[in-house]
Amino acid sequence: MLESYKEQFLYPKVQFIVISGKGDILESDDTLFPFKKEKNIIRCHPFFESVLPLLNHTDNSISFSCVHINGKVCDINCRTFPDKNPLIIIHDLSEHYQSLQVVAQKRNETVIESEILTLQNTYLQEKEAFKRIFIANFSHEIRNPLTGVFSFTEMLEKTNLSDEQFDLVEVIKSLCQDLNIMINDILDLSKIEVGKFMVYDEIFDFSELLDSIGFIYATKARQKKLRFHMHVDDKLPRYIEGDKTRIKQILANVIENAIKFTQEGHIELHVKLNNKRANKVNIQFEITDTGIGIQKEHIKDIFTSFTQVHKDSKYPGTGLGLTIVKNLVSLMQGDITAESEPCKGTTIKFNLKLKFPINYREPGKKDKDNRKVLFNPKKKFNILLIEDNKISQIIVLKILASQGAFFLDIAENGEQAMERVEETQYDLILLDIRLPDVTGYELAPVIRNLPEKKYAKVPIIALSGSMLGDSRKKYKKAGINDVIQKPFQEQQLLQKLHKFLK
Amino acid sequence: MTISKKIVLLGHFGVGKTSLVRRFVENTFSDNYRVTIGVHILKKEVVLPENQVNLIIWDIEGNEDISKTRSSYLMGSHGFIYVFDTTRKSTYENLPADLDYIKSGYNNVPVIVVGNKSDLVTKTHLRENKQYFDLAHYFSSAKTGENVETLFKDLTKKLIK
Ligand SMILES: Nc1nc2c(ncn2[C@@H]2O[C@H](COP(=O)(O)OP(=O)(O)OP(=O)(O)O)[C@@H](O)[C@H]2O)c(=O)[nH]1
Ligand SMILES: [Mg+2]
Repeated sequence: MLESYKEQFLYPKVQFIVISGKGDILESDDTLFPFKKEKNIIRCHPFFESVLPLLNHTDNSISFSCVHINGKVCDINCRTFPDKNPLIIIHDLSEHYQSLQVVAQKRNETVIESEILTLQNTYLQEKEAFKRIFIANFSHEIRNPLTGVFSFTEMLEKTNLSDEQFDLVEVIKSLCQDLNIMINDILDLSKIEVGKFMVYDEIFDFSELLDSIGFIYATKARQKKLRFHMHVDDKLPRYIEGDKTRIKQILANVIENAIKFTQEGHIELHVKLNNKRANKVNIQFEITDTGIGIQKEHIKDIFTSFTQVHKDSKYPGTGLGLTIVKNLVSLMQGDITAESEPCKGTTIKFNLKLKFPINYREPGKKDKDNRKVLFNPKKKFNILLIEDNKISQIIVLKILASQGAFFLDIAENGEQAMERVEETQYDLILLDIRLPDVTGYELAPVIRNLPEKKYAKVPIIALSGSMLGDSRKKYKKAGINDVIQKPFQEQQLLQKLHKFLK
Repeated sequence: MTISKKIVLLGHFGVGKTSLVRRFVENTFSDNYRVTIGVHILKKEVVLPENQVNLIIWDIEGNEDISKTRSSYLMGSHGFIYVFDTTRKSTYENLPADLDYIKSGYNNVPVIVVGNKSDLVTKTHLRENKQYFDLAHYFSSAKTGENVETLFKDLTKKLIK
């Protein structure tokens, strides 16, 4: 038994070779390699060729571990003697070294991988830093010419233009504004990333802010035939100390996103009091929509720059909005999370840690009232704005929002306008003279002559970019009560509304 | 006249010693890394205008610490090629000390310093690591073959001087 084991595991593993000083093979047992047939050892393997010169010393022993010889891995011992020929002993340790190879392979690969990862990280960080600086500088530089284009466009707008020219100028303005929003987003983001972003504290009327948000987004939602509901906790303080503009920016971004990705159903905004201690207040915001939703694996991406989970030209944008929101929220020491289910909808929740003034009375409230508020919020008026231009829409929206006395619906063309007037009885109509499908002169009489004469007496005010004189008669003929010249100031519009709604 | 010369490739693991030898001897390359344990010995004839040299190339296992290299592998060597990986700092940050170590043990043996994987490296990276990379005689790529033949030939010439 033992012998057979030895035969298997020991005996065949060692080869003895005797050579001459010049390397001629004198004897070999050839247990591992058939060397006997070769005349000189240097023909057997280059190893021997390089070792032979070392064997002319007398009485020596040199050991080489782990040498690869013709497919085997061996330890080789070379011995020289004062009076005898050199001896070479080869131990075949292939199996032993094979297992070492596996260990070394694992170890080296791990080390190299981690080194390469560190390197890639440094590169990525450098690249990111470069990108950020580049973007910041670039966006900054681009803003000057853009401001120029914008202010010259505004000057152009005030010159003698036909309605058609005025509309074209409005398109330029609107494109400038889109570009400006994008550049500001990018600038905000790069400022946040380099830690230069500041939030300012001021005391402001929080419920007024929410009212105006409610008005603007209810209107925008209705434009898409969506409903917008706002639920505000009445335990919230009326006045808040915080960065009003940024809080508005956060809400606007999240709600606009919700509207953008919702085709039917509703959007809800819940504003709740988490807690109130001393002069600190923690406010919870939740925006829920019934939109297209987000796949679970993409939820984490929605707060990442330039990532748009829905890569569809139906949903344009830079994908920066929510990244900015997340950063703003954390600047206000809050957290933001998203929950979503595809085809069901999305909920974005965040909280803001703000301050509020105790026993605060708004200064100079009276002056402000006299100057600005012409309408009593107790009686609300239904207004229809028929206007395709986005800038004009926003301007009217903002002016009316400040009053708290209106419901506003927006129709973008004649067809939508007819749908609206048939559904709802409005108290006043603001009518753009140039619409995509029809002129105001054509549309007004159609509204006037609706069955049951329900619009026979309702004031219709035209919005016109044209300064051309002879149109007064034309307005009258079409049944238009009055006209406001675009571009108009807040007070001009409010005075006109006041005149007809008294 | 044919002469035999032993040369040894030194350097950390994974820097491309085996790949350089493969490219030089067989003109092949593989992206797969198979760790060398112990030593592979290969032979290649280099024909110079006056001589023919049998280079016996010892491709040994990589070691982060040159002083831990088995001395039996280095014994009787006529030349060294010290290879580092241009993409991994750990393989060249001790270069000056390693070169001193070689000099102290093998004073008259020529050493060629090679920065390998030049195909992966950017100009900026070369500039940023100038203080180390200035010590290199060649930048090579076993992958593209850049400078491989040249560096072995250059060392061979130095061996027979
Ligand atoms: N891109 C590129 N990769 C290379 C080059 N040289 C080697 N590699 C790769 O680097 C890895 C390591 O190469 P090896 O030649 O095995 O390295 P080594 O120095 O022999 O490593 P050890 O035997 O462990 O000491 C392998 O995946 C090779 O494909 C090169 O010039 N360019
Ligand atoms: Mg190797």
